[in-house]
Amino acid sequence: MAEESGEDKNRFLKYLEVVTGSFDDKRRYRHYKARIAKLPDDYRTAFEAMERYLMFFGRADGPGAMEMYEDLADLAEQSAADRTPIRDIFGDDPIEFVETFIQNYPIGRWMGRERNRFTNAVARAAGEEEGTSR
Amino acid sequence: MGKQMTEMLKGTLEGIVLAILAVRSAYGYEITAWLRDQGFADIAEGTVYALLVRIEQRGFVDVEKVPSEKGPPRKVYSLNTQGRDHLEEFWRTWSFLSERLEQLHRGGN
Repeated sequence: MAEESGEDKNRFLKYLEVVTGSFDDKRRYRHYKARIAKLPDDYRTAFEAMERYLMFFGRADGPGAMEMYEDLADLAEQSAADRTPIRDIFGDDPIEFVETFIQNYPIGRWMGRERNRFTNAVARAAGEEEGTSR
Repeated sequence: MGKQMTEMLKGTLEGIVLAILAVRSAYGYEITAWLRDQGFADIAEGTVYALLVRIEQRGFVDVEKVPSEKGPPRKVYSLNTQGRDHLEEFWRTWSFLSERLEQLHRGGN
């Protein structure tokens, strides 16, 4: 009987998560935010600015996003612990770094979708079989 | 180091990192330090970190987490068999490219 109600609860949570998004992701995101909040001011400012830029590419809770934020927090904590100068971490052109970084994650969903659409359109126009979309 | 150097390095930096790791295992900052010593002064530590994340995702390296006195545990990267295969492919591509460019430079074809 107890088991059954447990199952019901899990099912309920599952439905709820469809509406609210993954609870696990929310927990991981909160944990990431807490890690960034603990950084020294200058590091926190720089990494928050980077997060803001990353948000532009997709939802903070999209697929692969948590891995991205966790990797970012690893770098931030390591750099702060070593007192690596901000400029050494981000380089002369911070965009260069962010572009390299973001390519590792599927956060740019809409970008990827449009790329596939374009690639497939060219393939169709060229009379080839449509490539498998990735 | 100018804009041109940055542009040219873009496609080769991953191979350079693999080549460094082929000599010996290293921490991320050791790789950046080596690059700086060799005159690649402008390479951002973040960029090297992003490439290390990538080669880890692609399964080219084995990663060992080593506790550190300050900060989070550090990752030591070592090139595995898959990484060595990929590095070989990188050197083949590089040889092709550099030979052709050298020919162009000498004015022959």
